[in-house]
Amino acid sequence: MRATRRSGYRLRRALGRLALGLVGGGVLAFLVLPILFVIPMSFSSSMIFELIPTKPSLTQYERFFASPDWMAAVGRSLQIATGTMVVATVLGTLAALGLSRIRGRWRLLLEATLISPRIVPSIVFAVASYRLFTSVGLVGTVPGLVLAHTVLAVPFAVVLVTSALSGFDRTLEEASRSLGAGPVRTFFRITFPQIRLAVLGAALFAFNVSFDEVVVTLFLSGVRTKTLPVKVWDAILYEITPILPAISTLIILASVIVLAPILLVYRRRA
Amino acid sequence: MTLGRRHLPSLVLLGPPLVFLVLVFVFPLTQVVWGSVFAPGFTLQHYERMVSVPVYARVFWITLKISVLTTLLCLVLGYPAAYFLASVPPSTRQPLLICVIVPFFISLLVRNYIWMILLQRSGLVNRLLLEWGWISRPLELMYNEFGVLVAMVHMLLPYMIFPVLSALLAIPPELTQASAGLGAGAVRTFVRITLPLTLSGMAAGSLLVFIVALGFFITPALLGGPRQMMISNLIEFNIRQVLNWPFAFALSNALLSGTLALYFIYVRLLKGRLPAAGFP
Repeated sequence: MRATRRSGYRLRRALGRLALGLVGGGVLAFLVLPILFVIPMSFSSSMIFELIPTKPSLTQYERFFASPDWMAAVGRSLQIATGTMVVATVLGTLAALGLSRIRGRWRLLLEATLISPRIVPSIVFAVASYRLFTSVGLVGTVPGLVLAHTVLAVPFAVVLVTSALSGFDRTLEEASRSLGAGPVRTFFRITFPQIRLAVLGAALFAFNVSFDEVVVTLFLSGVRTKTLPVKVWDAILYEITPILPAISTLIILASVIVLAPILLVYRRRA
Repeated sequence: MTLGRRHLPSLVLLGPPLVFLVLVFVFPLTQVVWGSVFAPGFTLQHYERMVSVPVYARVFWITLKISVLTTLLCLVLGYPAAYFLASVPPSTRQPLLICVIVPFFISLLVRNYIWMILLQRSGLVNRLLLEWGWISRPLELMYNEFGVLVAMVHMLLPYMIFPVLSALLAIPPELTQASAGLGAGAVRTFVRITLPLTLSGMAAGSLLVFIVALGFFITPALLGGPRQMMISNLIEFNIRQVLNWPFAFALSNALLSGTLALYFIYVRLLKGRLPAAGFP
């Protein structure tokens, strides 16, 4: 009697675990699987959509790489993302270094200010920067897009470098200074080696933020400086073409390649 | 506490990033707020229009409705997912977490486009349902609320899963063991121990999902129909199509104020962390 009750309990427990696994696993599958569907579609050779291509080929990829229009957009996106990466990493690292020396309510206020671009809805910043950039002639220019993307990328750099600095032993800097090294020398010989992984992470994040940005770029790009995402946006709205799955696959691949080092570093730490 | 001489080096370091943000971020935002009430003389007509014209009031209503529904769906789906992730050993959890983190960093535009090709009339979902004989003609899965909700839940689930997961992992295992040892069943232990201890995580995740949902632009534009126009889409329409900038500024200010107020609640009352590092 007791044994059957216990086995009944075990069975219920096992069923409960199974149900949880199915629902939880189902949700995780819902997050990942849709993204993978686009990959087989990208190898379609025909002009009509097919999920599993009957004759797999690289036609769409060839068309993409052979199109001067698309290639110009890719070049522009890479140029803007590289610019954003440099400016945002430098500004974000400076801000994090400054923040790490301040305590108390000022720090909270400054930190909130530096992070706030992630909080403001992108459409609001799009409108605001469009308003400002039209009056100073920065709409449709590469520097204008670098400036706007940098605003969106700085918070990532601030947060990443700040968290690296929180585990940093400040007495090392003091020792370096008391031994006669100047602040710049101390930074490059003592501080930077300790936070360089975070700085690298910040740079990669900034690149990815810029490379994928759509909403603000839609407003600021004008006709002449369309980035890759803006060209994709236009293609989705006005000319659904079989080339899009191939481009989507390449954009996904680019994000994975850019962000894989960060995930690897974080996994090793965890 | 004041910023004195002691802080001179940090002010030198903070100077360039702060000046940059003030010029390219804070200043243009104040221009928007200014432009919504001075056009050119002081007026509140754009705000009055926002609430008095039924079409615009409807857009606000739709935005709220879609955001609330997205939040509820994220809670219902995200909680079991977080519970599942908390119940497996850490060595299994790490690779599973990649499933949550990686989609989060993949272009929003590409993810929305993928939902378009899955949900369109001749898309994968319709084709499979037809093939299995579950339906006799294609369902309308996009250009309506259903399509917008599916895609928005897909984009926002990580914002729910992470806070709930960290609340679940913070529960000392002794508590649930003690509950079970004292004779409580799994359901009772969950309702009396786990659920109350994860309420704050659920509240933080829900508010975060809701705030981010309010400002969504790409998903309603691509997967919604005219009846799913949200505030962001109305703002874009007024800037780029009808060129009514002051009205767009007023709408932007309304969205901005609402968002900031909710973030204030999120940080102050729920002790929520800002989603700044990307890892929400």
